[in-house]
Amino acid sequence: MSIAPSLIFFLQVWGGVGAGVALLFLAWGIDRIDEDARGAYVFRVLIIPGILLIWPLVLWRWWQLEAQSGRWLARYQPVRRAHGLAALAMSVAIALIVFFGLSARQDWPADIAPVRVETGS
Amino acid sequence: MSVKYIPVQWNPNKWYYDGIMLVGVAAFLWVFLYITPDALGHERPINPQIHNARAFGACAFTMLTVILCIGPLARLDHRFLPLLYNRRHFGVMTAFVAATHAGYILDWYFAFSSRSPVQGLLEANTSYGQIAGFPFEILGVFALICLTLLAATSHDFWLKFLTPPVWKRLHYLIYAAYAAVVGHVVLGILQDDRGIGVNLLFIGGAALVCVLHLAAWWQGRAEPMGIAATGWVQVAPVDAFREGFAKITKLPDGDRVAVFLHEGQLSAIANACAHQNGPLGEGKIVDCLVTCPWHGFQYDVRNGQSPAPFTEKVPTYLVKVEGGAVFVNPAANPPGTAVAPVPLEKGAT
Repeated sequence: MSIAPSLIFFLQVWGGVGAGVALLFLAWGIDRIDEDARGAYVFRVLIIPGILLIWPLVLWRWWQLEAQSGRWLARYQPVRRAHGLAALAMSVAIALIVFFGLSARQDWPADIAPVRVETGS
Repeated sequence: MSVKYIPVQWNPNKWYYDGIMLVGVAAFLWVFLYITPDALGHERPINPQIHNARAFGACAFTMLTVILCIGPLARLDHRFLPLLYNRRHFGVMTAFVAATHAGYILDWYFAFSSRSPVQGLLEANTSYGQIAGFPFEILGVFALICLTLLAATSHDFWLKFLTPPVWKRLHYLIYAAYAAVVGHVVLGILQDDRGIGVNLLFIGGAALVCVLHLAAWWQGRAEPMGIAATGWVQVAPVDAFREGFAKITKLPDGDRVAVFLHEGQLSAIANACAHQNGPLGEGKIVDCLVTCPWHGFQYDVRNGQSPAPFTEKVPTYLVKVEGGAVFVNPAANPPGTAVAPVPLEKGAT
């Protein structure tokens, strides 16, 4: 049984919930948690696709900012160590993909000398 | 730097950058479509729909390759820093080019059945357990989702809302997306196409990205850490400081602090810009303000605050001069805390 219809339905539900979160956040929440957004409306259109995609993260940050529960110092701690690991992981993955991918190449039938197929016996 | 958000903060540099980028994209597509079909080694006849799809796909790959080269190049050689500026517009344009490639594919290979094109794409090949004949399309779908996510969260609002570290972690998806794109290409077009031009473009581009990233990572590993002494961390000898510039040191917890010498006095702020965590210590002070070399955000080194009406702030640190060396207290002050500058007496003991 194919999971494709279920996956497409899931994505539609995800987007639908995201649209609800976008409406609530852009019409009400954003003015409460970001002073730079007050009185600024045109840019909110550009924010909608991001909310549709990562609305759980939006809800989490919205709650954090409302509750003022985030550590202020965390904002100034660049993720340099993870950057090195990410670059290393990407390079290893690419090397493996290229090696195994090119190893799996097959000759196009046009390059193979034709063979007469015998019948009988 | 912003007071109120606007859709795009245009300035002459961004117009110039985006203009060059658009001309580059148009030139790439034109060359691919009209100049080099033979050189690209299309071994079998293809129709215009597929040709267009390949042109936009190759263009998206090339743009992604260039984007990923800019970061390590700027770390290895500061002369490439101007390319880093406005890189987000480059990423958004890449997402649009990649989406155009996907549109051509869906409208040709999956358009002639009773199923929806997306369902057809997901169901056409499910041989995930093998390399030869692997459904490479799904790798392209993954990469396109990543690129769309990065483009959709590229506005400065997202940086401030998510905080730079969370935003950066989210945007690390670019590495997974690029690896997926390489897989999409190697398990897709390169299974059949052995033309030198195509193979050089894709495999050479991927190799360049890997080499540059590994070189930048290797260089970063060599950065020395400040020496802790009685709770304070030694930054550098007093003689090492230059007027208007900073010395950067790594604190025991991995954070970096930039200690500036301005008008003969020392001030220390976090090295990470509040915008995208750019390296403030690599900027120069003009009128008490240090300018981030990545995107031009400015801070007063004496209190870590951007000049009014801007509202960005970074943490400050306490500084002292002792035994001919400069030390910082590794405990950061809350962002925007004013700290009295400490006179630098060269040769102090």
